[in-house]
Amino acid sequence: MKYGFFPGCTYKGSAGYKESTEAVSQILGTELVEIEGWNCCGATSYWSLEDLPALVLPARVMALAEKQNFKEVVNVCNACYSTLRKAQDKLAKDERLMEQVNEALAEEALSYTGSIKIRHYMEVLVNDLDPHEIKKHVKVDLKELTVAPYYGCQLNRPWGDIDDLQHPVMMDRLIETLGAGVATNYSAKTICCGASHMMPYEKSCLPQVRRIVNDALAKEARAISTVCPLCQFNVDAAQSGLDLPDMPVLYFTQLLGLAFGLGEKDLQLKKLLVPFKIAI
Amino acid sequence: MDNAALKARFFKKYHGEEIQNCIQCGSCSGSCPLAPTMDYGPRQLFELAREGDMEEVLKANTMWLCVSCYNCMVKCPRDIVITDHMYSLKKMALKEGIQAPNAKLPDLYKSFMVPVERYGKITDISVMNRYALRRPLDVMGNAFLALKLAKRKRLDYKVHPVKNLAGFKKVMKKARELETTS
Repeated sequence: MKYGFFPGCTYKGSAGYKESTEAVSQILGTELVEIEGWNCCGATSYWSLEDLPALVLPARVMALAEKQNFKEVVNVCNACYSTLRKAQDKLAKDERLMEQVNEALAEEALSYTGSIKIRHYMEVLVNDLDPHEIKKHVKVDLKELTVAPYYGCQLNRPWGDIDDLQHPVMMDRLIETLGAGVATNYSAKTICCGASHMMPYEKSCLPQVRRIVNDALAKEARAISTVCPLCQFNVDAAQSGLDLPDMPVLYFTQLLGLAFGLGEKDLQLKKLLVPFKIAI
Repeated sequence: MDNAALKARFFKKYHGEEIQNCIQCGSCSGSCPLAPTMDYGPRQLFELAREGDMEEVLKANTMWLCVSCYNCMVKCPRDIVITDHMYSLKKMALKEGIQAPNAKLPDLYKSFMVPVERYGKITDISVMNRYALRRPLDVMGNAFLALKLAKRKRLDYKVHPVKNLAGFKKVMKKARELETTS
């Protein structure tokens, strides 16, 4: 299966997300073709300070995808995912904005019609692949590894159409498919990580991460699995200020890679701040 | 702009009028992770706006502390798009030159926008460096973290600009022109 791929700005520099996603997608045959010429989605910064440019940034990415004949755009970052969907919603509801966005895009001979479906790679694996197909590639027994599935905010909210708003289960199912344990009743799974407020307001955001980690510990998880570079970064980095037992924070693609028996070159687990060690 | 004009602007241009439907149940403030740090929770802020005290609304740090987690929005029994109204109030406050004294987010957002306008993309470092110039104290505490990240090759120093940077800039320039004329 072929998808247009929107990596987003932080994908490349994050702790092994790129390497593990590339390796895993090759094994599973989900062909992620990078959208040529993509730009930053603008994220909450543009929504907060700008009107039209905040829509033009994500629209340009989607217009490029349309021009390159993709039907679907796959994201690996919750903020990119929600920004693209938000722009799509707003433009579908407002003809005048749609016209203005297209007038701006015309400067580069681009146009946006809204035909692209916006996806997240984790959800693609759960919804587009047969779990038996994924299982076929599992080479390492992970049943001793209990994982807390952490979804963050901007994947299910505000829409709640791909999974439950507060208690999503998609990643739980994916972890089960891999043969690993799933932390049950992990109630912190959609708590906010603090997002961009973590640096300016660390004191106010730390209780969020404390709850995310504490709940994983209480449910006897040995790792947290994430689907967003900012979530991974915040929950990984903020633990140094918490004085709690270490809780490694892996990307879901690293977890898949572990189950598939991939090595450090593809997993890059050494890049995690809270070390992940497993005796397999 | 006076209170009445600001209220009209919020209600009409930014579709804030739907806050008239708010029943003041407080589900928003109750579900907000940063409400304890806010001058007013969303419930109180909307009440002030409805009453027309827009200057007090725009002076508050409330919208600047909104992390866009959408918890309030999905809990609201009146389907008010609370997070979007927070975005609108941020834009209005900046336009009026009003900034809550402890609101640091405008600095962070602006630091984010500089590399986007210049290269079409960001890296963590390109944003942090600019934020450090505006708020050195916030970043100093993170020097140790930066070292740890550098050791793990997790810092991307160079921003790789978008492929058709000239075209990208033309699109953004046009977007700004259209905004000022509309």
